[in-house]
Amino acid sequence: MNEVIQQAKDIITGYDGPKIRIMEVCGTHTHEIFRLGIRSLLPENIDLISGPGCPVCVTPIGYIDEAVFLALEKNCLITTFGDLIKVPGTEMSLAGARAKGGNIRPVYSPDDAVEIAKENPDTQVVFLAVGFETTTPAACLAVKKAKELNLNNFSILTANKSMPNAYQKLKGSADAFIYPGHVNAITGNKVCKELKDQGVSGVVAGFTATELMTALAVTIEMLKKGEPFFVNCYPRVVRDEGSPVAIKLMDEVMELCDTEWRGLGIIEKSGMELRKEYSDFNARIKYSIPEIKGKPNPACRCGEVLQGHCKPSDCPMFGKACTPTHAVGACMVSDEGACSAYYQYGRSF
Amino acid sequence: MCVGLPARVVSVNEGTAIIDANGAKRDVRADLLEDLEPGDYVMVHAGVAIAKIDSDDEAEGSEIMSLIS
Amino acid sequence: MEQYITLAHGSGSIQTNELINQIFKSNFDNPFLTADDAAVLTADAGKIAMSTDGFIVSPYEFPGGNIGKLAICGTVNDIACMGAKPKYLTCSYIIEEGFPVEELKKIAASMGETARKAGVQIVAGDTKVAGKGQVDKIFITTTGVGNIIEGVNTSGAFAKPGDKIIVSGDIGRHGCTILLARNEFNIDADITSDCAPLWSNIEAVLNETKNIHVIRDATRGGVGTVLYEIAHQSDVGISLESEKIPVNPGVRGVCGMLGLEPLYLACEGRLVFFVPAEDADKVLNALRSCENSENAAIIGEVIEENKGKVILNTAVGAKTLLSRPSGELLPRIC
Repeated sequence: MNEVIQQAKDIITGYDGPKIRIMEVCGTHTHEIFRLGIRSLLPENIDLISGPGCPVCVTPIGYIDEAVFLALEKNCLITTFGDLIKVPGTEMSLAGARAKGGNIRPVYSPDDAVEIAKENPDTQVVFLAVGFETTTPAACLAVKKAKELNLNNFSILTANKSMPNAYQKLKGSADAFIYPGHVNAITGNKVCKELKDQGVSGVVAGFTATELMTALAVTIEMLKKGEPFFVNCYPRVVRDEGSPVAIKLMDEVMELCDTEWRGLGIIEKSGMELRKEYSDFNARIKYSIPEIKGKPNPACRCGEVLQGHCKPSDCPMFGKACTPTHAVGACMVSDEGACSAYYQYGRSF
Repeated sequence: MCVGLPARVVSVNEGTAIIDANGAKRDVRADLLEDLEPGDYVMVHAGVAIAKIDSDDEAEGSEIMSLIS
Repeated sequence: MEQYITLAHGSGSIQTNELINQIFKSNFDNPFLTADDAAVLTADAGKIAMSTDGFIVSPYEFPGGNIGKLAICGTVNDIACMGAKPKYLTCSYIIEEGFPVEELKKIAASMGETARKAGVQIVAGDTKVAGKGQVDKIFITTTGVGNIIEGVNTSGAFAKPGDKIIVSGDIGRHGCTILLARNEFNIDADITSDCAPLWSNIEAVLNETKNIHVIRDATRGGVGTVLYEIAHQSDVGISLESEKIPVNPGVRGVCGMLGLEPLYLACEGRLVFFVPAEDADKVLNALRSCENSENAAIIGEVIEENKGKVILNTAVGAKTLLSRPSGELLPRIC
């Protein structure tokens, strides 16, 4: 353990002030916090809430249904980040569609999906574009490349999300936010600074043990002072201006739209959709996908869990109808989903 | 939300770069970064180099801790 | 002989004989392998260990081995883990029509070589040919027996609090090699499979001490899966030092890129030992003196509390639970 971690750990474990609630927005932060066992270090008076920053957890059930439709009804080759394959849809997950003969392929990068389309001109390839500002530029680059190559067998099914308006929805959920380092690497810190002016505090953090511990220590120290704050705790990657090239690229290829967040409902201007100029690459238009309304289980309380309004164990399905091997809600799907983590680790970790 | 991988740039070629993370190499898109050179360190996400990396996390951490202590 | 396997090769005809004589017999040659319906063997006194395993792997050839080598190592290592010296193997092939004969020769040669290295004789076999598309190129099943060394008594149910846990080398290399060989993620790394027969390693350990509670070979599911199995079978907790788990840098790089956990990547030449603390150094030194286990390491110990769970001590001096893998390993962005 290096000196910085030790110093940060002393601050974290030594906190004896009033109860504070800190929300890590990013799913990868949630994952690393569990992997490092950071929760087990926290005193009783610090609540660390896992927010809605996992693209898997917030992708609505209807989106999975659309992808299953393209795989089974339109015989498309579905290329996707591995994260999405096990997420339950209304009838089945993509893993289920694959068992029924659907062609589903995990890829590391949207660019690889374009290459697959190039090499298989007789196959219609659809890439499932999920993710936040970190991931969206990769999808935009892929679409532009497909356009340059004149590929008519490549399209994307968008469910890209944009954070700024989501923060507005989350405002009251915590005393301070740990902002997602790699989103800010793209967007810069403008939105976080504006939030500070509205009285919403937070720090942007990296992902290593040192970075997460430092960010938590800074958050605790700043909360003690009682003034709204924003601190960039990840300056080696996050610059105030973000990535102007990426911002311009996203604006060129996509535009903001209203979109549904699983559990949170529709948030205005919090989604990204392809602009008209790129509609040839929009799978919804290309395949005239009928409007699919996913049917989430009405008993599922994932939305409240994601906002920190209730604990996983408060949900009537938790551990009964909904378990990691038979997930009903999105928070049970991935290992780091709040419910899955709670189910596996209980309170002790 | 976004797994990132720190990696060293091995070579750069018209908007793409070969990166090396502990000996695992891959071609990634490098269009988002200007003036990228072999030897630079970058953060890679989903096959795209999204940012240059200035220093290691420990140096960064001790600088930040000095702000609050 | 033809260039490709045809249905005739599996029909019991002249072609079948040709295949057996030219490919299998020449590589597996030993006095027990005859044209009769069964091998006739002499039984030694004492207990025997017996195991069977089916092998399907795509691609069937990969850096560090092929399906043939794998089929020998897998069964030999299963037997060896019971403290038994592997003695005889049988093997059964299911080959897809159209499979290149040259490739089959390579696989058989590799099986012969690995069997000799492992000190085991292939005494019976069977070949079936399935129509095009009915199997994926070639499947092999091997069954083996070996004599348990007197005084050795190991089982997954024998782990006890205080036992040290030793792995015989860096983890996850086979799984990582296969992942890269499939070339689905366009990642390039100089990683070879750890696939190896391990009886000589176990023998070296048993020569030092027979006081070993558990020996397991970590295969699919990796070391993490083995640890959970033992924690359940023995009804104990397991505490690991995450920084002490040996992982090849390239494997770490690939895992970082795809968001995978090395503890859940398959191995084909790695053993996990549970030994009383006082014997741990002896076991470690014996392993380090053998080929394929030079980098053996103590990675943790058995604890009384947290029964059925695997706990990791992490880089920030905290404890966490090793999450259990749910089915197929998938790369992730989140």
